[in-house]
Amino acid sequence: MTTFRENDVHAVAPEVAISFLKGIMPFNTLNANTLKSLARHCRIDFFPKGTRILTADTTELTHLFLIQQGGVKAFLEDDNGEVTLKDFRGEGAYIGALAIIRGTPANLNIETVEDTFCFLLPREIFLDLIEKQASFAHYYLKSFSEKIVTTAYNELRHHKVARRSNEDLYLFSIKVGDLVKDLRKVVASATIQEAAAHMSEHRVGCLLVHDTADAEKIVGIITDRDLRRKVVAAGLDYQQPVQTIMSGPVQTVLSQSLCFDVLLKMMATGVHHLAVERAGRIIGVITSHDIMLLQGHSPYYLLKEIRAQQQIPGLYPLAQKIPEVIRGLISEGAKAGNITQMIAILNDHILERMLTLLEQEMGMPPLPYCWLLLGSEGRREQTFKTDQDNAIIYADPADEAQKHKAETYFKAFADKAIDHLVNCGYPLCPGEVMAINPRWCQPLSVWKHYFERWIAEPDPQELRYATIFFDFRPGFGESALAEDLRTHLNRQIAGRDLFLFHLARQCMETRIPLSFFKNFIVEKDGEHKNRLDIKRQGLSPFVYFARVLALKYGVKETNTLARLKALMDGEWIQRELWSAASEAYELQMQQRLVHQLRQIEAGVLPDNYIDPADLSDLERRMLKDAFTVIERLYGVLGQMYPVT
Amino acid sequence: MMVNLLKPGSWFASPHPLIIKNRETFSRFDQSRPLAEYSFVVCDTELTGFDQKKDEIISIGAVMIRNLQIDLGTTFHRYIRPINIEHTKATLVHRITPQQLAAAPPLEEVLPAFIEFAKNSLLVGHCVTLDMGFLNRAARKILGGTLSNPGIDTIRMAQGYRRVLSGHFHGEEDGSRSYSLEDLTKEYHLPTFKSHDAFEDAMQTAYLFLFLLKKFRKGGLLTLKDIYRAGRV
Repeated sequence: MTTFRENDVHAVAPEVAISFLKGIMPFNTLNANTLKSLARHCRIDFFPKGTRILTADTTELTHLFLIQQGGVKAFLEDDNGEVTLKDFRGEGAYIGALAIIRGTPANLNIETVEDTFCFLLPREIFLDLIEKQASFAHYYLKSFSEKIVTTAYNELRHHKVARRSNEDLYLFSIKVGDLVKDLRKVVASATIQEAAAHMSEHRVGCLLVHDTADAEKIVGIITDRDLRRKVVAAGLDYQQPVQTIMSGPVQTVLSQSLCFDVLLKMMATGVHHLAVERAGRIIGVITSHDIMLLQGHSPYYLLKEIRAQQQIPGLYPLAQKIPEVIRGLISEGAKAGNITQMIAILNDHILERMLTLLEQEMGMPPLPYCWLLLGSEGRREQTFKTDQDNAIIYADPADEAQKHKAETYFKAFADKAIDHLVNCGYPLCPGEVMAINPRWCQPLSVWKHYFERWIAEPDPQELRYATIFFDFRPGFGESALAEDLRTHLNRQIAGRDLFLFHLARQCMETRIPLSFFKNFIVEKDGEHKNRLDIKRQGLSPFVYFARVLALKYGVKETNTLARLKALMDGEWIQRELWSAASEAYELQMQQRLVHQLRQIEAGVLPDNYIDPADLSDLERRMLKDAFTVIERLYGVLGQMYPVT
Repeated sequence: MMVNLLKPGSWFASPHPLIIKNRETFSRFDQSRPLAEYSFVVCDTELTGFDQKKDEIISIGAVMIRNLQIDLGTTFHRYIRPINIEHTKATLVHRITPQQLAAAPPLEEVLPAFIEFAKNSLLVGHCVTLDMGFLNRAARKILGGTLSNPGIDTIRMAQGYRRVLSGHFHGEEDGSRSYSLEDLTKEYHLPTFKSHDAFEDAMQTAYLFLFLLKKFRKGGLLTLKDIYRAGRV
C-alpha cells in the first residue's frame, strides 16, 4: 500500500498541465511519461490585460509561453514609434519559441489583449524537446518558414535599410544539387590515417566511404567529428580501417530537394551530413554548413569559405556576397569603424586566396614581392565596390637578366590578378593606379625614388593624385618590402615642410559644405539640385587632416581613425579634438554605408551623393555638427601652415 | 531533543521543534516587501464535516506560488486516515473511497510533512480561517502549538477587488453576490477544473489568488501590506 502513497505525493500535481499539454500541438505527440515529467517542470503565470510580456530586442527568454487562456498581440515598433501589428495569438498558441531556438532576445513585442494565463516551460527543457523529438523540430521550424522574416523585422526596426522581400528565398529556390561539392570518397578498407590525410588535402570536413569491391556503392560516411571522438579522444589506432569508425548507411536526399527542406531534415534528425543522390547515384555530400553559407549573413562562414576555395573562379561569387554580410552587420547595429574593418578583412582574404592560387598556377615569382593596397583600401576604409587601387613592389633585381624575368612575370601576374578582381566585382581604377600599369609595378629602389621626388619637389598638380600612394599598406606577399618603403618615406618627410604645406593647403581647398543645409531650406519645394558629395566634402577633410599630421609626426598607421588615435596618444592633437573628429568621421561613414547599401539593394550603382530629402531632421543636425568639426581641423592646419 | 509524542505530559510543556522553528520563522515577519518576494502555499482541506469538535481532516491539497507563479513541481496532496473512520460520510462528496482512507497515513504523519512543505510561506485559502482552524486544532493536539504562518483569504481579496471595481469603498456588501469558488471562477473567466478533490480545489484557488494578486498589483498595490489593506472591510 505504500505505492499508493508515493503516487499520491508525486503524481497528482501535473494533471492540470498534462490535460492542457495533451490538447495542444505538438505536445499531443508525446508519450505519457514524457508529458508527466514535462508537467512537473511547468509553472503557471497570469498576465492581466494590457501587460507587456516581451519587449523586442530586449527580453531574454527563460521559458516558452503556452497560452492556456486569453490572448496576446504581437507587434513591432520602429524608431519613430510607429507600430506594426504582426499577429494575434490565442489559446494553445506559443510565444517565444523562435527566440529560444535562435538564442536571441525576443524578436517581437508581446502584450496581452485579454486577461491571460500561460504555462511556462523552461527554456532548456524546450530546447531538449526540439533536439530529441522530431515532431517538435518539425512543428516549430515549419511554422517559422512562413515567417522566417527575422531579417525583415530588423528592416522595420532600422527603417533606413530598405526592405527586401527575397532575402531568405535562397533557401526556397536553390536545390541541393546546385550546391553539392565534388564527390570525395575513400574505400572502406583504407586506414583512418589515409582518410584523414585525404580530408585535409582537400580541405573537406567529411568523406564518403565506398564498398571495397564496388566503388559506386556508398556504405558510410566519416566526419571531422568522428575523427575527434572515435579516434583521437578514444585513442584508436590510426591504422584501423576507416569502416570501423564510419557511420552507415548514409542518409540521402534527392538532388532536386529544396535547400530549405534539407535544412529541416538536418535539424529534425540531427544529422548534418547528407549524401545527395541523383538518378540513383550518390553525387556528393551536402552539409548544414553549406546551406548556412547560402544565407550569406555570417562573416565567419564567408571567411571560412574563402579560405577553403581551391579555384579562383570560386572566389567570384563569394566576393559578391560581401555586401550581404555587411548588410547584416549594419542592421545589427555595428559601427562604421567596425564595418569598414570587416570589409577590409574580407577583401584581404579574397586577395590573399586569389594570389596564393595564382602563384600556384603561374609558378613561384622570381623575386619576393608585395602587393600594395592604396587609397581607401590602404586605409581600410572601403565601402562597397570601391575602385581598385593597387601596385606591386618587388625586391631589387641583382642583374639585368633577373630584372627582365621579374618584369615579365609580374606583368603577367598583375594582368591575371586584375582580371580576377574585376570578376569579383572590384571595378578598374579610372586613373589606372593598378599593378597592370608598368609605372606602378616596380622594384623597391624605384618606389623609393618616386616618393623622394614627390616629397622633395612637390608639384601641387601631381600631388593631387599622388596622395593615395601615401596611404599604402601591404596586401599580400613580403610585407617587409612595404615596411622598408614606409620607413624610408618617413625619414624623407622629416623636416620637409614645403611638402606638408602643400598637402595641408590641398586639404583646406575643400569648402565646408554648410551651404548644403542653407540651400536645402531655401529650395524646400524645388528640386534638390545640390546633393552632398559625402566623400569629397564630408569625409575627405578628415582623411587629409589625419594624413598630413601622420606624415608630419611619422605615424605609420594608414587608417584615418587609427591615425587620429595615434595623434592623440602622441599628444599632437588634443583629446577633445580627437574624440570630436573620430565621432564626426564615423558618423558620416555610417551615413555613406547606409546610403550605398540602399543603392545596391535598389539595383543602382553605389555613389557618394546624398540627397537631403533622404535625411531625417536628426540626421541633418548630426551631419551639420560633423561639418563644424571640419572648421576646427582647418583651424589647426591653418595655424601650422599659415599662408604668408 | 526529541519530544516523545506518546508521553502526554511533554506536549504542552514544550512544543514540537517544528512548531518552534515555525514560530521563529515568522517572529519578525515583514509585510512591506514586494509581493514577488514572498512564497505562498495555496491550500485546501477536505473535512468530514464543519464541526470543529467532532469532524476531522481527511485530505490536504496544496500548491506553491513562488515569484508570483504557480510552481507545478512543488505540490502537496495527501489523504489522511481519520480516527473515527466508521463515521466518515464524506466518501461520495469527496470521491474518496473508504478503502483509500483506510490505507492512508494518520494526521500525525501528514501534518508535520505539511508544515515542512509550507515552511516560510504564507497560507492562502478560500475561507482560509476554516482550514486553519482545523489545522491548528490538530497541530495543538499533535505538536503542542499552532502554526504562525500568516493567512490570506481569497474571499476577502475578492470582496476587496469588487469594492475597487465598483468604487464603493465603504459601502455595504450586496448580499446577492456569491463568493463561492465556483462562482468567482466563472465571474472572472478563470480556467476551470473538475472540482472536489482537495488538490484541485487548491489549484482552482491558486488561479483565483494569482488573478486577484496580479490585478491588485497592476492597480498599484505592490506589497503584502497593501493587499491586506485592500481585503480589510
